[in-house]
Amino acid sequence: MGLILGIAFSCQEKAENTNQETSQAKSGERALAPEEADGNYPYRRLSTYGFFEGKMNELEPASNLTLYKPASSLFTDYAWKSRFVYFPDGSQAEIIGEEMELPVGSILIKNFYYPNDFRKPEEGKRIIETRLMIHEEGGWQAYPYLWNEEQTDAVLKVVGAQLEVRFTDASGKDQIINYLVPNKNQCKSCHNKDEKLAPIGIQPKHLNHELDYGSFKSNQLAYWAEKGNLKGFEGADTHPSVIDYEDKTQALDDRAMAYLDINCSHCHRAEGPASTSGLFLTYDQKDPLKLGVNKTPVAAGKGAGSFRFDIQPGKADESILTYRMNSTEVGVAMPEIGRTTVHEEGVELIRQWINSMPESK
Amino acid sequence: MKTLKALSLFLLSGLILMGCDSSTYEQTFDTSKIRRASLEETEAIVEAFILAEDSSTIIIPEGFYNLNTQLILDNKTGVKIKGAGMDKTVLSFRNLQTGGEGVKIVGNQISIEDLTIEDAPGDGIKSQHSDGITFRRLNVTWTNGDKSKNGTYAIYPVQCKNVMIDECIASHSKDAGIYVGQSENIVVKNSLAFGNVAGIEIENSDNAEVFGNTARNNSGGILVFNLPGLPKSDGKGTKIYDNDIIDNNHKNFATPIGDGPNGNTVTMIPPGSGIVLLAAKEVEIYNNRIHNNKTSGVSIASYQVTGFPAEAPNWSPYTMDIYVHDNEYKRKKLSTPDLTRELGQMVSIYNAHGKGKTQDIIYDGIWDESISPNIESNPMRICLQEKNWEDLHFTRFYLMDGEDNITSYKDHELFQNCQVKVKTDISGLAGL
Repeated sequence: MGLILGIAFSCQEKAENTNQETSQAKSGERALAPEEADGNYPYRRLSTYGFFEGKMNELEPASNLTLYKPASSLFTDYAWKSRFVYFPDGSQAEIIGEEMELPVGSILIKNFYYPNDFRKPEEGKRIIETRLMIHEEGGWQAYPYLWNEEQTDAVLKVVGAQLEVRFTDASGKDQIINYLVPNKNQCKSCHNKDEKLAPIGIQPKHLNHELDYGSFKSNQLAYWAEKGNLKGFEGADTHPSVIDYEDKTQALDDRAMAYLDINCSHCHRAEGPASTSGLFLTYDQKDPLKLGVNKTPVAAGKGAGSFRFDIQPGKADESILTYRMNSTEVGVAMPEIGRTTVHEEGVELIRQWINSMPESK
Repeated sequence: MKTLKALSLFLLSGLILMGCDSSTYEQTFDTSKIRRASLEETEAIVEAFILAEDSSTIIIPEGFYNLNTQLILDNKTGVKIKGAGMDKTVLSFRNLQTGGEGVKIVGNQISIEDLTIEDAPGDGIKSQHSDGITFRRLNVTWTNGDKSKNGTYAIYPVQCKNVMIDECIASHSKDAGIYVGQSENIVVKNSLAFGNVAGIEIENSDNAEVFGNTARNNSGGILVFNLPGLPKSDGKGTKIYDNDIIDNNHKNFATPIGDGPNGNTVTMIPPGSGIVLLAAKEVEIYNNRIHNNKTSGVSIASYQVTGFPAEAPNWSPYTMDIYVHDNEYKRKKLSTPDLTRELGQMVSIYNAHGKGKTQDIIYDGIWDESISPNIESNPMRICLQEKNWEDLHFTRFYLMDGEDNITSYKDHELFQNCQVKVKTDISGLAGL
């Protein structure tokens, strides 16, 4: 499996005794009664699900989990992610048009972690949280699990948390991030389709590309179909696909749209909560006004900065889009949740894209 | 109309600048003495929102709750949220680290009442995609010294049906205090909006009644707008009656001091505006007391005056089908229109009653030439029936030949002999 085998990492410093830290410590220390995997979700502890084999913090998946990865990844404060999907025995996902339906009982497992040193990811990491999305009878539910300091287990924490994370970044610089674990209902700030909780990465367009499974490589959809977990797959060419925005061999326009799609369009689309703005950022958006070109904001408040339009063609530094991406101020920063730092590379990509547009008369 | 900068220079040299912009930091309640809720009590409230079940009541006891995460009620039916009173239960979002609004509500037949919401970085309380949402006795405000750091909307239902806002207080928001957007079937009554840029705003919405409110000390008192490019493209049917729209002369702090307007339309509102209609459709304004708004009591404008692109699908930039009647107007002696915004400068210089005169009703006179070659036929159906025309300052501008050829007229007679039937029906909100 293309998983990173981490060595147990236990040198987290005791952070200052802020209120939030206290609450986190308490939930971690709370004596939890033994728990049985009785099928009544959610379990209080992540370990009860039995997703991982061996030492839990190595995140080595049980044989009934399938690794998956969207072509482009949502930026969440430079956290690394590993994702798995669990299909109940004999059940199948189905591609219907541009969407994918997962069977009831499916579970999406997403681990958020930081290698201690991004240049040597195999040398230890800190896992922050594991988010589960479970497809229950009544629809999807999201459950955030917060890992303990010992990195032996994670506990369901519906009210959210905040904690300090230290790591050395890819350029060798030491970084400190104030990581925010969302509260349960904040999950739907992004995972929202017509006010129903919905996965983001589990769409044909995000999965229709080759993935390295360790011992072999395959198009993910083809692999799911081959092992009997997917109906409606008719060959990679017949389904939409979004590129990886980090792939610099691709056209700038396509990279920018791929970035906006995975980072923004979960809200900024007709079925999402930011439909109020009239700004729609799915990868196939062609209408300049809906993309924000010469479009005035609606309810942006201070998010507009001193600028008139979401995108001022040719002028990234006078565009609201880049202004908000480049801010960490709550009420200005976009996306509204999921980051407390600026995604420098993402801002740069969108800057280049806007600057490449011909200026308006 | 692109810029009036040259005009403002001319004006500054010709008139003595009367610095009449005001600011207020007034707070309705002193929340500093309220007992601080413990971390456990605060987390219990967050959890109560997350775990709420249909038809339940969430009681928020007396206390000052310092929240660092959002309170979100998600897709529930029949939930009541109840504080111990606006002066007793305070939800402070000063330390919110992520997310836009402080409180977010999605659901049907939801009510929230008797509490205060302070210092949310984005909006105070937002409700989206809800059918049957009641805000009652909510005080939503900001306490920052620099008001340009305040949040956008205090009370913000958007894309909702059957919205009741009753006995609320909304203050110091840098956009609108009470803002109803892209919604239908709306009542805003017996509420107070002060110290905001816009007091009460109905935007891209259908079937709204706004009555019994006080909008005072805002930059603009009550606004009805239709903005382009939104999923709900053009709203119609608003009645504004029995309101006190007074002293709306607050500095426009929607952008920081020294910054001009940005792309947010509200940043262009000249301080001293009582009621403003922008690309509005089917609005009746009557029995209001419209006093001491230094620029203009009622302003009727088309979207073109913003200078922004004025084309969008299923949307018209013109204000049309307007009926203004039986209101009481008072102008304050010695006050002069705003000079900080282009629209204020235009009123100052070009009104039909003499430079620097406050106006009671202004009409930008922009009409759809595909309907009529001239305005004499009143093609946009702007109907004005006030009693004491001899005491009123009415100006119709003519802006369609560019900013170098602005002229103005006192010809209220053109608009005086018609009526528009504006239909609203709020009977379905009786139980809210």
